[in-house]
Amino acid sequence: MHFAFPPRKTSNPPPYAVRPSRSTPMLRRNQLRLLAIIALGLLSFIFIASRLFRSSSGSAQSEYIPPGTPPVVIVTVLDPKGNPSFNEMVKQNREHYAEKHGYTTFFPNPADYPLKTAPVSWAKVPAMRHAMTLFPHSTWYFFLDVHALIANPSISIEEHITAPARIEELEIVDVPVVPPDSVIKTYALKGDKVDLIICQDHEGIGRESFLIRRGEWAKYFLDAWFDPLYRAYNFQKAELHALEHIVQWHGTMLAKLVLVPQRIINSFHSDRAGVSEANIYQEGDFIINFTGCDQGGKTCETVMRQYAT
Amino acid sequence: MSLSRSPSPQRGGGWSSPGLTAPYNSSGHGGRGGSAAGSGRTSPVPAFANGANVTWATAQARSAEVLRGGGRGDGSRTRGGGFLGGHWRRISIGLPQWRSGGGGIGAQHFAEKEKLGRGRWNIGGGGVSGGGGARGKVMQILAFFGRAIWRMRLRLAIVLGILLLVLGFYVTPLHRLYRRSSYLGGGSKYVIILGANQGGGVMEWKGPREWAIERDSVKNKKKYARKWGYELEIVDMSTKKRYAHEWRESWEKVDTIRNTMRKYPNAEWFWWLDLNTFIMEPSYSLQAHIFNNLGENTYRDINVYNPLNISHPLTEEYLDPETRSTVGDGDPSSINLIVPQDCGGFNLGSFFVRRSAWTDRLFDIWWDPVGYEQKHMQWEHKEQDALESMYRNQPWVRPHVAFAPQRRINSFPIGACSDNGPDPNIHYQEQDRDFVVNMAGCEWGRDCWGEMYHFRQLSNRLNRNPWEKFKDWISDGIQAARNRGKEDKKS
Repeated sequence: MHFAFPPRKTSNPPPYAVRPSRSTPMLRRNQLRLLAIIALGLLSFIFIASRLFRSSSGSAQSEYIPPGTPPVVIVTVLDPKGNPSFNEMVKQNREHYAEKHGYTTFFPNPADYPLKTAPVSWAKVPAMRHAMTLFPHSTWYFFLDVHALIANPSISIEEHITAPARIEELEIVDVPVVPPDSVIKTYALKGDKVDLIICQDHEGIGRESFLIRRGEWAKYFLDAWFDPLYRAYNFQKAELHALEHIVQWHGTMLAKLVLVPQRIINSFHSDRAGVSEANIYQEGDFIINFTGCDQGGKTCETVMRQYAT
Repeated sequence: MSLSRSPSPQRGGGWSSPGLTAPYNSSGHGGRGGSAAGSGRTSPVPAFANGANVTWATAQARSAEVLRGGGRGDGSRTRGGGFLGGHWRRISIGLPQWRSGGGGIGAQHFAEKEKLGRGRWNIGGGGVSGGGGARGKVMQILAFFGRAIWRMRLRLAIVLGILLLVLGFYVTPLHRLYRRSSYLGGGSKYVIILGANQGGGVMEWKGPREWAIERDSVKNKKKYARKWGYELEIVDMSTKKRYAHEWRESWEKVDTIRNTMRKYPNAEWFWWLDLNTFIMEPSYSLQAHIFNNLGENTYRDINVYNPLNISHPLTEEYLDPETRSTVGDGDPSSINLIVPQDCGGFNLGSFFVRRSAWTDRLFDIWWDPVGYEQKHMQWEHKEQDALESMYRNQPWVRPHVAFAPQRRINSFPIGACSDNGPDPNIHYQEQDRDFVVNMAGCEWGRDCWGEMYHFRQLSNRLNRNPWEKFKDWISDGIQAARNRGKEDKKS
């Protein structure tokens, strides 16, 4: 129907708003196409990016260390059946020192560990592992034999020993790891890669005083050292020879170990037989070691009491 | 064709109707009015046979247009739609016309002497031709599809192009490149280490069967590694006097893997395979089969299956909570060793190790002279027993070891571990399409080559492509029919 003029608008408006016509789509064709292209591009970008960055996501984050964590734990295995006043003297020596520097102490009982028939001296190995369980955020764990005392409490372990620059200064490179003539020689290590700080005397690697850094390597080292096959092997000097064995046979052990001069962590008391002059305690040294003090009719307590603070 | 106003009479006769006074309107009527009318086009002036509505002005305009188009030849404005348009029109006029939708005789504008639908291709079908009805329907449907395809030609072209690209990806070595690259498919992050020549060399001469086993096994792994872009390292395990002492003889697995790790510094996972293994399903990628979902495909709590009765978890109080936990830290990314267990404990015929500091340490401590000296008489499986011993006694090992359900990477044939009869957790199951078969212990009184051959044939049969399946179906059918015939003759 065609009219000469368009019809008038109706006088009765519809009660509801007119629905928008369905014939015109919400989005025009070219708009849709643009959207599709953008979506496709985005998807492919995400796909490729996820492929590219998939492997690199597992980087180690720096772990959270709660405030107030002692940076160093001093571990000494006490014999609960020993002389109580002697034990008390040793304990006080450690505690006094730890308090001064914000460290902490740990005095485990060897009966807590499954040593079976092995000599009691093996207890130091699980004791170190135990310290890492009890103080899971500390950095260094310092084992000190019960027959040794901290002679100079003003020395801080970080400055004196464990600062990376200090380690590099102290480390003794390219000497036989087991004296006198092992073919296995120590490596030159970067200070922050070191996990075990130990010294060496005329008898072998020092088992009376050493420091371990917490980490996966420490677990490996201690657990491998404590393997029942070594405990059952009847090494002449028990855990000392086991330690000498593993550092000579296994490169991953040696690669984390540095030797430091004896007097840095383990000066000998002058009574000890067979000790070279250079390793004997001098005024101001950090540690004094009395191993063998109970020979010759003396008791360790009387000898050590002079040095105990 | 709606008009804004109604047409009105003009002085010179005729009607002025602005939308319809196009010049071709009248020409169409003049030239071939019959066919135009036949195509059903409605025209406002059907009654005027010959230019009744031609005014002087329109005629002049038309002749000018014709002159312009014919004289210059470019004809960009002629009504045919361009220079080519003219030609196109001439061609299309020359073509035969299909009369569509003819409504019976009444619609014809010329006399039809023949009977309709005979000797003629009549698409419309029409009411008269009764016999050609079915064919007409088919043609109609075909024409409908043709039109639909033509209308969607752009979209179809895109789909076809994508299809061609996909085909090109898989037919050419492009897909291998993709799968191999470390950042896309990730294939070069996996190295398969195949220990060939085990215990051979100086000690033992190889016979034809041993050669055949080696050839088949190597071919199988080569094909698999090539398909998925993995690295394959075939190592010679023949007994050599490599060490000053004879202690480490046949303990070379560890040394071999370490050497391989050095050779492929960018690879992450290393898969050890004994020679007596066969990859039954080459279509499984390691990523899809195991590593994309490592936590689901392995278990870390040995209590799930514990043939050695190892007490787990550790309970000693001096150990840290992670070591005492049944599953380590529970995060699949801390898994560094994946070992299957068979009825006798750990099985190192098919296992995975990942490059890590932990693995370096494990490989370093794995062989130790003190352990060897005490245990070499008892440890008849050498590395395997040493690993079990470390797992038992060295707590640091446990949080990084995961176990694979045996049939995931190391199915046994029925001859191995068969003391308690067939076990669905141990032995190969055809209907589940197990990944790898390890003919463990076949050299002790079983037929290695026979088993290898059997599993090779089975794998080939299970992985036929559809065309081969079709051919086999036909030949099997013929065979069956023949057999039936023979039996009939016999009976």
